Amino acid sequence: MNHNKTSAMSTDLLYEFSLAKELPDADLLEDFVRRYPEHAGALTDFAIDIVLDAAQGEKEGAEENIGSSTSPAVSRAMSQFQNRRFAVQRERGDTAAEQPADAGVTEQLFADLDRGQFRSLADRLHSNTVFVGMLRDREIDPATMSPGFQRFVADEMKAPLSLVAAHFAADAQIQRGQFYKSEDKPRAMTKLGFEEAVRTSGLTEEQQHFLLSL
Amino acid sequence: MARPLTKKKENGSLYVRPPDIEAAIDQAVSEDLSTIVRRSVLCQRNTPGFVPLECLVFLIRDARRRGEEGAMNALMPRLLARCEAILKNKIPQDCVPSTEDLRAELLGEFSVLFAEDDDSDTNQLDFFECRFSSAFFTFRLPFIKRERKRIAPLIYTSGAEEPSDGQVDEEFHATMSKACRQPPSQIDDVFRGSLLRAINALPPDECKAVTLRYIYGFSEESTDPAEITAASLCGVTGRTIRNRLQRGIATLSKQFTKEGKGSTAHESQ
Repeated sequence: MNHNKTSAMSTDLLYEFSLAKELPDADLLEDFVRRYPEHAGALTDFAIDIVLDAAQGEKEGAEENIGSSTSPAVSRAMSQFQNRRFAVQRERGDTAAEQPADAGVTEQLFADLDRGQFRSLADRLHSNTVFVGMLRDREIDPATMSPGFQRFVADEMKAPLSLVAAHFAADAQIQRGQFYKSEDKPRAMTKLGFEEAVRTSGLTEEQQHFLLSL
Repeated sequence: MARPLTKKKENGSLYVRPPDIEAAIDQAVSEDLSTIVRRSVLCQRNTPGFVPLECLVFLIRDARRRGEEGAMNALMPRLLARCEAILKNKIPQDCVPSTEDLRAELLGEFSVLFAEDDDSDTNQLDFFECRFSSAFFTFRLPFIKRERKRIAPLIYTSGAEEPSDGQVDEEFHATMSKACRQPPSQIDDVFRGSLLRAINALPPDECKAVTLRYIYGFSEESTDPAEITAASLCGVTGRTIRNRLQRGIATLSKQFTKEGKGSTAHESQ
């Protein structure tokens, strides 16, 4: 298909063609070509692409279920989403829009806390340093955290919600400046579900109940 | 009842969601967020609790309208992860050299649609609430075309008007014609899948001629100038279409006859 030719015509027309039937047939193509003869070439190329795409693997909806971890590509897309959303909100005059965080800023979210502040944060979050360490190291899948929990963390850290969300959405990391005795260099692990993290952090029953109820 | 879509077709009528999507949305909005997030990891339609992607798109847009940032941030990674699974399936590793970059670019650009969503008539997300798979294909196609064009601009040489000297196996021709006429429900048929992939790998002009003639079923040409044919759709003469068909089928015939012999030899060992 000639990409320029497609761009010159309305993209909406291609969407309309693709949505008209699950797979286009000769009747549909003929109908569109008669209605839009000026786009006959682009429509024909597009119709061919659709049926041949059906040969590229399984039909959509047959994929394996996704895991609880967030892939690097999804993390980057989320970052792009948050940055663009912020820019759009500003363009529309929303002065209350929260500045999204870049990678450097998210690293600072926990990095500036000394030992005392770290313990204090753990207390304020009704948790312990093990659990806060998991938050710091992004070991918990943000998609399994409730919005209430993320808001709670943002409030207690006095940080914008978008900054906290961006921190959690980034890839799991091994903290710099630490030393390891094992022969293999440690690697960031697969992220845990929120409930699993709460249950396995040595928190009291009351703490677990509180965090899971947010 | 979910908020009606606002996007209009070229004839001015509004797009509407299919009834099963409306039903899935009605169920989802009655549940709490953690339940929906938990269900949204299921990708297979036949799994109990499966959330259609159309429904997920609605929920994210609905969260934006309500100003529920937390819900958006919880559901967006799930939607993107499912899109990534589709892309891994549809854009295999050997498709283009930079497959991972291409997938990441597609996911990023797709997420931008949500960031720019304002429910206006220019936004494309209404399409994704009608039939996600078709809309997502339409969305990703220009990126894939661009990438293929970039890596292989001069792979195919023009066959011009010369007739092919390839001998077409009549038996193969009959088998191919039959396979191409099978309804979409039999698309998982092994031979048909292999055949479609082989057709896709033909030079563009031959691929186009073979697809229009054998998959769509258009006639090669017609004496009636008003009739739409493979030749008129390609903007060439009937003779050119026949030449392209002959070359394309000869290539497919050789390929499948060779593969057939190969597998027979392998099985006899």
